[in-house]
Amino acid sequence: MKKIIYIIAAVMVMGWNPANSQTQKGSVLIKNATVLTVTKGILEDTDVLVENGIIKKIGKGLTASNVTTIDAKGKYLMPGIIDAHSHVALDAVNEGTAPITSEVRMADVIDPYDIGLYRALAGGVTVSHAMHGSANAIGGQNITLKHRYGSGIPDDLIMKDAARTIKFALGENPTRVHGRGNGIQPKSRMGVEAVIRNGFNEAIQYKKSWETYDNSLKVKGATPVPPKYSERLQTLAEILDGKIIIHCHSYRADEIYMLIIVCREFGITKIVFSHVNEGFKVAPELAAYTMGASVFADWWAYKFEVYYSTAYNAAILTQNGVITSINSDSGELIRHLYHEAGKAQRYGELTDEQTLALITINPAKQLGIADKVGSIEEGKQADLVIFDEHPLSVYAIPQMTFVDGVKYFDINEDPNDMRLRVAATEAIEPIFLKEHNHKCMHGVDFLFSNFGRSLFDHEH
Amino acid sequence: MSPNIKVFKSILVLVLFLTFQYTMAQSDPSGEKRVTGTIAIKNATITTAPGKTIQNGTILIKNGLIEAVGTNVIIPKEAQVILGDSLFIYPGFIDGASTAGVSKPAEPEKPSDFNPANPPDDIAGITPWRNVIDNYDNKNNQIYDWRKSGFTIAQLIPEGGMIPGKTAIVVFGNPSSANILAQNSALVVKFQGARGGGRVYPGTPLGIMAKFRDVYKNAELASRHSKLFASNAGLNRPEINKTYEAMYPVVDKNIPVIFEANDDIEIRRALSLQKENGFRLILSGVSNVEKVTSEIKAANAQVLLSLKLPDDKVTKAKMEELSEEMKARTKRIQDAYASILKQASILEAAGIPFGFTSMGAKSGDTFKNLRLMVENGLTENTALAALTINNANILGIQKFAGTLEKGKSANMVILTGPLLDGETQVKHVVADGFMFDYEIKTKKNGTDEKNGNNGSVPLDGFWDYTSDTPAGSSSGTMEIKKEGDSYKGTITYDNPGGGGKASSEMKNISLSGSALSFSFDVDAGGMSLVVNVSGEVSGDQISGNLSLSEYGSFPMNATKKPKLF
Amino acid sequence: MEDQNILKMKKINQIIFTVALLVLPLLAKAQFDGEFIKPRNGRFLLQNATIVTVTKGKIENGSVLISNGKIEAVGKNIPAGDAEVIDCTGNYIYPGMFDSGSRLGLVEVNSVQETQDYVEIGLVTPNMQAIVAVNPNSIAIPVTRVSGVTTTLATPSGGLFPGTAALINLNGYTADQMYAGFKGVVLNFPSSARRSTWDRRSDEDIKKEAEKAEKALNEIWDRAVTFHQLKQADAILDYYPEMEQLAKVVAGELPLLVEVNAASDILLALEWIQAKKVKAILTGVAEGWRVADKIAASKIPVITGPILSIPTRNSDRFDASYTNPGKMAKAGVKVVIRSNDAENTRNLPFNAGFAAAYGMGKEEALKAVTINAAEVFGVADRMGSIEQGKDATLFVSTGDPFETKTQIRHVFIDGYRVPMSNRHIKLYQEFLERSPGLKEN
Repeated sequence: MKKIIYIIAAVMVMGWNPANSQTQKGSVLIKNATVLTVTKGILEDTDVLVENGIIKKIGKGLTASNVTTIDAKGKYLMPGIIDAHSHVALDAVNEGTAPITSEVRMADVIDPYDIGLYRALAGGVTVSHAMHGSANAIGGQNITLKHRYGSGIPDDLIMKDAARTIKFALGENPTRVHGRGNGIQPKSRMGVEAVIRNGFNEAIQYKKSWETYDNSLKVKGATPVPPKYSERLQTLAEILDGKIIIHCHSYRADEIYMLIIVCREFGITKIVFSHVNEGFKVAPELAAYTMGASVFADWWAYKFEVYYSTAYNAAILTQNGVITSINSDSGELIRHLYHEAGKAQRYGELTDEQTLALITINPAKQLGIADKVGSIEEGKQADLVIFDEHPLSVYAIPQMTFVDGVKYFDINEDPNDMRLRVAATEAIEPIFLKEHNHKCMHGVDFLFSNFGRSLFDHEH
Repeated sequence: MSPNIKVFKSILVLVLFLTFQYTMAQSDPSGEKRVTGTIAIKNATITTAPGKTIQNGTILIKNGLIEAVGTNVIIPKEAQVILGDSLFIYPGFIDGASTAGVSKPAEPEKPSDFNPANPPDDIAGITPWRNVIDNYDNKNNQIYDWRKSGFTIAQLIPEGGMIPGKTAIVVFGNPSSANILAQNSALVVKFQGARGGGRVYPGTPLGIMAKFRDVYKNAELASRHSKLFASNAGLNRPEINKTYEAMYPVVDKNIPVIFEANDDIEIRRALSLQKENGFRLILSGVSNVEKVTSEIKAANAQVLLSLKLPDDKVTKAKMEELSEEMKARTKRIQDAYASILKQASILEAAGIPFGFTSMGAKSGDTFKNLRLMVENGLTENTALAALTINNANILGIQKFAGTLEKGKSANMVILTGPLLDGETQVKHVVADGFMFDYEIKTKKNGTDEKNGNNGSVPLDGFWDYTSDTPAGSSSGTMEIKKEGDSYKGTITYDNPGGGGKASSEMKNISLSGSALSFSFDVDAGGMSLVVNVSGEVSGDQISGNLSLSEYGSFPMNATKKPKLF
Repeated sequence: MEDQNILKMKKINQIIFTVALLVLPLLAKAQFDGEFIKPRNGRFLLQNATIVTVTKGKIENGSVLISNGKIEAVGKNIPAGDAEVIDCTGNYIYPGMFDSGSRLGLVEVNSVQETQDYVEIGLVTPNMQAIVAVNPNSIAIPVTRVSGVTTTLATPSGGLFPGTAALINLNGYTADQMYAGFKGVVLNFPSSARRSTWDRRSDEDIKKEAEKAEKALNEIWDRAVTFHQLKQADAILDYYPEMEQLAKVVAGELPLLVEVNAASDILLALEWIQAKKVKAILTGVAEGWRVADKIAASKIPVITGPILSIPTRNSDRFDASYTNPGKMAKAGVKVVIRSNDAENTRNLPFNAGFAAAYGMGKEEALKAVTINAAEVFGVADRMGSIEQGKDATLFVSTGDPFETKTQIRHVFIDGYRVPMSNRHIKLYQEFLERSPGLKEN
């Protein structure tokens, strides 16, 4: 906390000097904790030494000089929680104006002031996958964030060594926005498939036209005419080249299976299905051909395509060998993902280790960052949370949250007002009774039903 | 052609034109023609440039130029002499970005095969080929208002969407002249989505960023193609695209891009596009600059800061009546307000040369807001520089504007006191060598009529409105008729069911003083919603809010359409 | 002899044949697999459990005897008699939990308008009865009750007076079978708050509109008072169902459920309630902690929730919504917790769990979903705790029902043992090991 205040002060007093704006790395020694490594079992009464943002050593009786030491006796230390589907810290969520918008980048619209980041930290979440919304069959390029709240600099939040990912969306949302809303394809699940196939095939042609151009440039004396540039098709071509992981908003088993088949035809193996409420119905296929499923703990029935779903989804998927994670897709749920994961024990009786994996190593795998975060292992980045009780207990309260060894949340040094900036012109502060800025259909729903009927509860 | 050369050429034309007029215009039956173009102001305190002041000086103006300035100026016989004792002369103010006299171009028609995912450029708000002069009325009242506040030159910003068009530089001189100093001097870009309530591409900052990159990259490629075509045989002809063609001066780095960027987040977005593409960048309408000063410097970007300051809502809050918690929060709002007042001084301290812009500001607040900024750390010299020489540099017109020197254009403001004195009033403005006189009010009753129509506000007529919702901007028209003491009207809006506009009757239209309110019903998928509108009418503008019960409330602005005869 | 036998055989064959013919339709029916389990009434003895009575402490190794819908006995060593014995060794018995604000049954699939029955057109519709629109066969009801939530307040939403809420039990096939004995009229108290960042009204406009709304409320209320007074005076009045219903509130026959959340609005609501002398319950009360002392002094009970929600203000501490019920309870407010959900009303116990963790304590949080609710609704003589003579609405669990790890084993509602199954569980049974599995290709 002191760090954050220091950062804020620095920014206010001197202005931010980009020379200093390299991401903060911290060192800390956490002693005597029950360490829930997730990948290497539970280590009782164990110390974890962090040096310069990296977990240096895990063991007993560790010492270090010139490093803050925290006694975590009787407390639980787990890896920072990872949310594989979030819209926190984004200024805009949906460019819901075209069925394919692979050219748009969530990195362009990061809102480093979002109080949602601090709330997520207070819930132990250190990494979130800031996604485009679900209005388009192929949405924008997502960005993986590390919750380094405080500097007000978008760039500081970007996890630079994360894999590239992109949002896809099937079913009701794209057909509602484009087909029923704007009178263009897709209006049905048939159309969604066709739009995606069209996109990939156009991308193949696009890539070829640039290759032809680039090759003829090498011919001496040639004066080839450059083709048109399209970041939209360029991005799709990079998906085909295996450079980008697809995270696909999906609900029904048929549409999930459809995209599995399309991807197999185009040679795409990097795909994660998100929400995927009926994933349990095609669990064997998800296990065999994809990077898994990222699901809600128990959300259902808020729209027709999730009516035939079950809270046992995570358990069925896990037992079938699907890499499974539990995500928030909500500025509210992101505050207690440990509790959301815990519900997989109510519905399907997963073990503690299986359950903790749902919010740590498994989402890390799906985001292509499992070699860096998602478990407590020597050499990994020091994203850590201390809980007072076992994190899967409803009574557990996160005590401290570290990103890269820097403490960004400490319940004992938690000031009242953690906003980084306030408006000068509004003396009456807004009151929020519902969470409606951080979700999949943000923006679109409103415009959709326009003077709309949207805000009764969830829309995802 | 570099903008400077262009500007110079325009000046040349202007001078020739003026000379020509003088020789031919033998008679003026209106009696409005001035007797002499030679004016001398004697014995004044003349600040020729920030920090350079001549006491008891004389300035001589001849045929639109400054002939001499100093303490030993010989005054020719034909000069009209003004006694400047107790007067203070400063270089005429230059407005870095202005919409005075600029109107919105007509809305383009939607084609019959309109596809919101791929709209024509003009509907998407991409019209870089537009020249602001085509929508400029040099006799507009706003010009009168700004000149009265000391402004003599302005860079005009076109109205429109994300790339509304190119700017022009005009002098606020005699309205019988076109007064254009330069055209197509910069390209304007804003973070504004296409019209159509967020349903037309690009609808959000996401699409705007991507679309800008797309336009820029393809303009570069198209430019390369046409250059190849011009010098090689056997090539396919380039497909002429007026958007790309209009971008050539930008991609060739001949003119700068003025990015309207409201806060640090938008500034960073503009800076990242600049970094990717390398164009010359001017940031306009900025705030929260303390977060981005070093980035602005690193990018060599120039800055235009609005003269607008928000209303003070909190510094007089009764703190003692508040709880500890509310005290702390109110303090933060006060700090935020103070930080807005400090924007100019932060830029100065960071060594970023900046100019002022009138965008969003009221002309009558100019001196008051300047004083507030100086009270908050801005030095007097920089305040003046930001009104004069800095903007001349940013606009590339420093050769003939920005200071009072021999040979420069005769643009100056003549005050009754020092620039930052609370009692100071504007007595004369010389623009393009023409003298404009203003009545000096004898103390008190300082409330200046902001627009000629006090009392009852004319509400009846046709209005265009836009409303910014989280989903993007939406728009429509209002037709209001006066019937006896009450009003009746209809309003159109984007049809929630899709496909064009729907209309409803305006209910409970009430106008008391300038406060307007009314409501209308919207049918959204079988559900009827009441939309409440409230706002202030000021001349041909309405600014207010459109509120949709629990869904929120959104700013709405309306402009009256001129009557068609 | 042989002939006889043959004859006999023939006869037997004939009989078999005839019987077979008769049975044929039955056999055809037997093409259906499995058996449908229905809720069962009867005498049950739940043996050897830890009984958490809520009102009378904990009983270790105790038993509960259920008969004719009631709890016939609670204690140790109760003889089974003819009761069906259910061994609960190592398990716990709790009273059924109340969700004191829910749309369960009033909506099936929220995005499908045709299934939204919780909201009507109009500003003043207190005569809208939630109970008549509850679908007893909603798929979400069995999904909910296996969590131990047995009773909900079916609450309409919408305008100023959206309708009349009703307490229902989550078992039964008709409104009457489900009705649990409480109704209240909902009032959405006018708000002077800025509603989210989308609300771009000026501070002045917000104030003006709030004043206007309160004035409108008072005008409507005056009409209800007039209606009531004239009715008392035996005047013959035109049919006016809205005022008819509000007059019952004026008369004190029905309480008012006053939905209010912002701190300043809560204070206004308290003043209003006292000025109008209405029997009221505050609901929502998201910023109750800011004015907890004032609420406590008014003695008006509070139904708050969801607890799992974001803080009302960006400047609030991250846990403002978690700590709210605890702070109010500590100040002396009678606090009841609701989910304010529909299909996920089953999350009520977790809302209580968070309240418990963040200052309310487990015991008080348990009361907030059991006996406190029963008291606020005036049904504590029948519900809200495990006591002899009360309705047999309770559940058996492997542990603390607020913990996600805990499994709920049995649920009884009004003496009916309800099946521990629902669509979610059936899908689990069908798909845990799908057949056919993966077809390699």
